[in-house]
Amino acid sequence: MMIRTPVPKRARPIEPAPIIESPPTGSDHHRQLAIYEDPPSADPARREPYHEPLQQSEHMLCTYQCRQMVKADFLDALSNAEKQVQDYQSQLAELSDNFRKADEERKTFREKLSYAEQELAAAKGREQALHDQLLKEVNDSHERLKKELESSAKLQTKLENEQNLHKKAESTAAAAEDKSRELEAKLGHISQSIEKEKKRLNNELVHLKRDSKFSISKITVDLEKMEFRAQSSEKEVELLRKQQEDLQSKFSECFHHKSELEKKLTSLSFEDVSPKESDILVKHLQEELRNYESEVREARKLKSAHENIELINEKLLEEKSRRERAELQLPKLHEYELKINELEDELSAWKLMIQEIPGVSCRDDIRLRISALQKEVIDNLKKLGDVNAHLKQMEVILDKTQLDKQKTETEAVLAKEKADRLEAEVKRMNVMLSAVSEERNVLKTAIEDFKSKNEQAGGNASSSIMQELGSSILEREPYIKELEGDLFAQKEINTRQRDEIKSLHDRLNSEARRVKSLERENDRLRSEIFLLESKIGHGDFSAANTKVLRMVNTLAVGNDAKQTIEALQSELQRTKEKLQALEEYKSQSGNSGKMVDSYMSGKVAQLKEQIATLEKREERYKTVFADRISVFRRACCELFGYKIVMDERQHTNGIPVTRFTLQSIYAMNDNEKLEFEYESGNTNIVENSYTSTSEISQQVDIFVRKMNSIPAFTANLTVESFNRRTLS
Amino acid sequence: MASKTAAKDIITLRGSAAIVSEFFGYAANSILYNRAVYPEESFARVKKYGLPMLLTKDEGVKSFISNLNAQLSEWLEAGKLQRVVLVIMSMNTGEVLERWNFSIETDNEVVEKGVSREKSDKEIMREIQAIMRQIASSITYLPCLDEQCVFDVLAYTDTDVAVPFTWMESSDAKLIANPQMVKLHSFDTKIHKVNTLVSYKNDEELDDEE
Repeated sequence: MMIRTPVPKRARPIEPAPIIESPPTGSDHHRQLAIYEDPPSADPARREPYHEPLQQSEHMLCTYQCRQMVKADFLDALSNAEKQVQDYQSQLAELSDNFRKADEERKTFREKLSYAEQELAAAKGREQALHDQLLKEVNDSHERLKKELESSAKLQTKLENEQNLHKKAESTAAAAEDKSRELEAKLGHISQSIEKEKKRLNNELVHLKRDSKFSISKITVDLEKMEFRAQSSEKEVELLRKQQEDLQSKFSECFHHKSELEKKLTSLSFEDVSPKESDILVKHLQEELRNYESEVREARKLKSAHENIELINEKLLEEKSRRERAELQLPKLHEYELKINELEDELSAWKLMIQEIPGVSCRDDIRLRISALQKEVIDNLKKLGDVNAHLKQMEVILDKTQLDKQKTETEAVLAKEKADRLEAEVKRMNVMLSAVSEERNVLKTAIEDFKSKNEQAGGNASSSIMQELGSSILEREPYIKELEGDLFAQKEINTRQRDEIKSLHDRLNSEARRVKSLERENDRLRSEIFLLESKIGHGDFSAANTKVLRMVNTLAVGNDAKQTIEALQSELQRTKEKLQALEEYKSQSGNSGKMVDSYMSGKVAQLKEQIATLEKREERYKTVFADRISVFRRACCELFGYKIVMDERQHTNGIPVTRFTLQSIYAMNDNEKLEFEYESGNTNIVENSYTSTSEISQQVDIFVRKMNSIPAFTANLTVESFNRRTLS
Repeated sequence: MASKTAAKDIITLRGSAAIVSEFFGYAANSILYNRAVYPEESFARVKKYGLPMLLTKDEGVKSFISNLNAQLSEWLEAGKLQRVVLVIMSMNTGEVLERWNFSIETDNEVVEKGVSREKSDKEIMREIQAIMRQIASSITYLPCLDEQCVFDVLAYTDTDVAVPFTWMESSDAKLIANPQMVKLHSFDTKIHKVNTLVSYKNDEELDDEE
């Protein structure tokens, strides 16, 4: 410290000595320039201990040079001070800028803080709402769970009941099945026994048949015998009849004789014949008559006796045959008795069985009972099926409830996860809030520091800048956190997209598989189509759905005839040419042609004959065709009411055109004609004087042009002309 | 009847049957000409389907084909016709050399309910034109018919069809053993779809050379 002796100065008011401290500048910072002014009064009482060293130096007063030096130094110091002031001012300006920036930043941070507070409040509100919603959902899910559990408990009880019912039904069904099996076994036994009986009866029948055949044969033999006997008896009867007839004739002769005798007698009574002879005659006759009568009576008796004998013989024979049959069947009687015993035993066994079967009193009831049991079995099976169906429904319902339960559980889990996520969000928001509040505090401290630093405006400028930089870094941290949060969200989005891509990939694979299967099916169908087409091409058909019809084709025959005609015609022309050539040659040559002539003439005659036949045939065809066509034309005229005239023409382009001229049979005059042109399958009406009249042209417009129907037009015209004709 | 509308024409069952039977008539004529079943001079040139078509002048063949077309039209309107086959046979041996198969798929809804369909006439004509061109160009791959041939027509119908007076039921479907088949284009009126296929006897000489 350089202390100079100050120049004595004017008195100044009593003030404490101002001390201006200059900021440290370069190398002079270790030196302090003190501009000292003489105090107004050297009052020893007022001397401060501080100035004691200076008072001591008062003794060391400088000369003018010293003053100049001091001045220079002062000026230097002033300039330095000014520089320093400028620096300070610039620093102040910077600081003020920084302060402004910091103020602005503070404002922005305040805004952000308020925004964060608002967000926080909103997040809190959302959290609260979510919390409430979550609580509601949890309560709902709890209630649903409870309900589901109750319903599942009910369903389980129902299921148990149904299972019990099912078991009962199964047991009843099993019992019914057992019963039915037993009955079926019994039925089987019965059927077997019935079959055995049937067989036995069949055997018996066979035996009986054999016996009957045997008896029949016997009877036939007996019959033959009887026939012989009958024939013999008939012969005897005839003889007897003859005898009877003889006797009768004799009787009639006697009667006649008697009547004659009586007549004679009566006549004799009138004649005086000797009574004795007549009496004797009468007596003789009477005796003869009596004899004859007695003979007739005896013959009758004999005859009746004979008949009786015959009857008796027949009866005897019958009895004999019966006896023989009975004798033959005697040994069988024992067998039949045994069989009867057996059958009786079986019958009793059946009856016992029938008595055992409840609800059955006779054989017919068995069938009814079996049918009833079968119906019962069927009903039980139906019930069993219904119970099974019901059980399955219950199982389905149970599965559904379980699925619902699982769904609710998953929903509850999801809700929990949501709640956890929300809590994490809330925590994150709290953390953000704390970070923001810390930042705010930091900012506050930074601002305060800045303010204090501004107030001090000296010393630790660089350290404040460093602090500010640190604070700005701290300020950036939430941004970084936000960015990290965004990054995290982006990562989540990416993972979700990756999952979506995976699912799409899977879908793509499944679609590719489906496409392959469709392609395979397509190939199979194509091969089937190819097979079917080959079958169609080959002409295969199913006789169940299709029948093949063929039109009667006379073209080949006609073609044959035409071809022969053409061939013959060509041959005819050739022969004609040959003939002409020969005639020319003949005219040239002389005798040598005679030989040829005869041969040629023969050939010519043949050819001429052929030509004649062909020409005749051609004329015949023409006449036949003309007849047929005329018949056809007349028929068409009568059927359709129009005379049709056909005319072939040719267009300018070479295409042939057929013109048809139609005249109605009810036309009033010859001018009423319709003309049509037929070309390549198309028929067009040609305008003429008749069709250009108003009535006809109207009809042509309606029927031909609008409705495209010529038959309707012609039919309408026919009816109109018919009406006109009949009315007129 | 086909009536003109803006872009598509209304096709009725009768109209479709007429189109198909007319097509068959022209196709039969074209086949007879291209396969030389009848001599060239017996055919006359007409314009149809935008192409110069050849129709026979022979009255017998003409009447045969026209009667055939009338019957086919009737069967088509009833929806009873399944297939029409034009068979070319050797006159001497009766051997079947070619089978021109026209199979017909009918829309039964139109037959039962009498509804109509829409399709452009031009489109149908274009499709028929393509088939006619293919028939004309078939001579490039079909074997030559060196011998005199005759033709016959078979109709595959439903079993409940009454056999007309001029037709008879045939047990012989006139098939070719191991035929070569060539499928041609088809045309569709939306009511009747006609698929064309020609099957012909394998030319053994060519096969040996191959």
